[in-house]
Amino acid sequence: MAATESSPAMTSYQPVVWNFKLLAHDMLAGFGGMGEGMSVQIAPDGRRIIWLAHESAPKNFTAVDVTDPRKPKVVCQTDLPHANMRSNSLETCGNMMAVAYQTSKKDLQPAGFELFDISKPENPKSIGFFDCSGPHSRGVHQLWFCDGEYVHCASGSRDFTPTHPQDDQFYRCIDVRNPSKPVEVGRWWMPGTRQGDNVMPPTRHQLDKGYRAHNTNVYPQRPDRCYLAYIDGGMFVLDISDKANPKKISSWTNSPPYTGFMHTIVPLFDRGLMLVTDESTENNAKDWPKLIWVLDARDETNLVPISTCPLPDHTIYAKAGRFGAHNIHENVPLPTAWQNDQIVLGTFFNGGLRAYDISNPYQPKEVGVFMPPAPAGAPTGTIQMNDVFVDERGIVYTVDRHLGGLYILEMDF
Amino acid sequence: MLDLFPSRNASPFGRRQKRERGARIPVTVVTGFLGAGKTTLLRRFLSSPEGAGTAVIVNEFGAVGIDDALLRSSADETVLLGNGCICCITRSDLQLALRRLVFDREHGTVPPFGRVVIETSGLADPAPILQTFSTDRALGGEFHVDVVLAVVDAVGGDANLDAAAEARKQVILADRLVISKTDLADATAVERLTRRLQLLNPRAAIDIAVAGALDPDRVIAPVNAERSGFVAEAEHSDGIESFVIEMAEPIEWPTFSRAMETLTALRGADLLRVKGLLNIAGCRGPVVIQYVQHLAHPPVELESWPDANRTSRVVFITRGVPERQVRDLFAAVQALASPPQAPPA
Repeated sequence: MAATESSPAMTSYQPVVWNFKLLAHDMLAGFGGMGEGMSVQIAPDGRRIIWLAHESAPKNFTAVDVTDPRKPKVVCQTDLPHANMRSNSLETCGNMMAVAYQTSKKDLQPAGFELFDISKPENPKSIGFFDCSGPHSRGVHQLWFCDGEYVHCASGSRDFTPTHPQDDQFYRCIDVRNPSKPVEVGRWWMPGTRQGDNVMPPTRHQLDKGYRAHNTNVYPQRPDRCYLAYIDGGMFVLDISDKANPKKISSWTNSPPYTGFMHTIVPLFDRGLMLVTDESTENNAKDWPKLIWVLDARDETNLVPISTCPLPDHTIYAKAGRFGAHNIHENVPLPTAWQNDQIVLGTFFNGGLRAYDISNPYQPKEVGVFMPPAPAGAPTGTIQMNDVFVDERGIVYTVDRHLGGLYILEMDF
Repeated sequence: MLDLFPSRNASPFGRRQKRERGARIPVTVVTGFLGAGKTTLLRRFLSSPEGAGTAVIVNEFGAVGIDDALLRSSADETVLLGNGCICCITRSDLQLALRRLVFDREHGTVPPFGRVVIETSGLADPAPILQTFSTDRALGGEFHVDVVLAVVDAVGGDANLDAAAEARKQVILADRLVISKTDLADATAVERLTRRLQLLNPRAAIDIAVAGALDPDRVIAPVNAERSGFVAEAEHSDGIESFVIEMAEPIEWPTFSRAMETLTALRGADLLRVKGLLNIAGCRGPVVIQYVQHLAHPPVELESWPDANRTSRVVFITRGVPERQVRDLFAAVQALASPPQAPPA
């Protein structure tokens, strides 16, 4: 009956800010290519410091004073020993920080993780190193360190010969109670990925990113569980009540038909839910769709996917870099981290930072988007949001993978 | 769902919200009689920084969309609903237009707007438009009417209010009133009109806009429900009256809900707008309620109270439903819900 008109089709990618308020943006002294390590420390002098891992060389990590989130200030930025390595992942616990070192090729050093005393944020002091180098190892890609006692990490090892060169990193638990002498106390790998296993190696996926560990989350609500993402192997719930002898409780994968690269598992204990993320690794959305999945985890032995967090039509995002899920806020069990089981915040590369309300976990609903303009010189011509962390005040920190550095936001929903 | 996957952070009404609209897209409804200056006001707003990212829906009573043509160059997206009045004939067109906007935004075929302004035809009754957001749950989940703004022109406004029930209803239901064309009217007429508007709608603040110049915030900033507590008794035309029910003590949700169910069942058609903040027993923040005739918006619990006042306050705008009867109904339901304790044996 009525005439309804609209503009000609818009097919171009453009920035969107919806229900987030930008408080500050810091290009991190020109080294704004950031990885997936973000952790907030309250320093002994009361300052609030966010520690950030870099995506690649030459920088190792950067510390930013965010006491006033509107006026961030870089207080420390360190260099890697050489360009064939990256730090990528870090965690702080009190005044101690663990930083992962992964090399670009096997048998390079340093490959492992380093421990720092960060009580003086301007001057982090190395207090320990755990070597994970070896002829088949690239060292540590990711680590989890929240209790001051154990580092749970995705790591290779000198004594581990994988059945496929891509499968070099597995779950390891390292006792760091004496930081100067870290000791491995347990490990687990997907059967078939180590030479000598009595099962056949797994069938390779189309994109073949490796049957290897990624996030290794352990929470005080269930200190006897490790929530282990295993890239092309899907995810596993491990019983680590005996750290020396982890046992598989359950597993879930979406691939095939999806294209692998499971990244992070975040259990929402009170609600009997679990968030599982993929990582998009291919430019131009070639691995679409990469999603955040919501699982009914009331029975941990029978995980049931019940929904995914919706993304917009991928076609306009498919022209500039990666588009799809990656990191989410993980409710890291620290007093400086926001704890919430109704909102999911995730980074989606050129899809920016997105927030979802999962009050009804069968129907996640997008409630906020932060897709800022591309930083000058961005190789993809778009933002590539890589990681997100929310502090206990509800202040959101998110980082760009290439150049943009740190964006500090307020949730407005 | 809350039972199946309970959250310690959740309220009985779902996730606590920072504000009434939560994450939904804010909507401003601009009403006003024919020639009141709605389009001029809107053009000025759209040219301001605050107006960026606004999609406009224009309803015109007539085959040729003049206002649409005037606005098209300013808005991010303009949708014309022609050929009828938005409040009755083309309400479904409004629904379709809003749904289409959401769909197109998700598919990238319209710019990523963050706000919608609906300009109604001069003859529109705003109540059915507000009702649309209650009846269509899908739309209610995406959009939230933050502001109903009525434009009244200083030259012809008084006569329009005399002659047209629609003009009076637009004023009565508005959250904010804007007097336009004051530069063309003498001061006495403006004063007289202001007094009349205050009588018709004592809740609404009145702004003056010459040639559409108005603080953009007045077009978009939500009107806080608590402000309604300052409502005064007013004589309305057309048997319309407004009043506030206040409750000092926390109220049980089932009690409030049952009282409103009874009221809407008996006199739903005469509840033009009911809006308020409730102090619900067991809730941390205030619970925002809103009814338009017999339809209720889903209640929302806010994260915190706006101030120290914990009194529940609900504004009623009714047609011929007296305040005393509403008070008596609430008192009766409350008394029946909490029977006196039997004396000990």
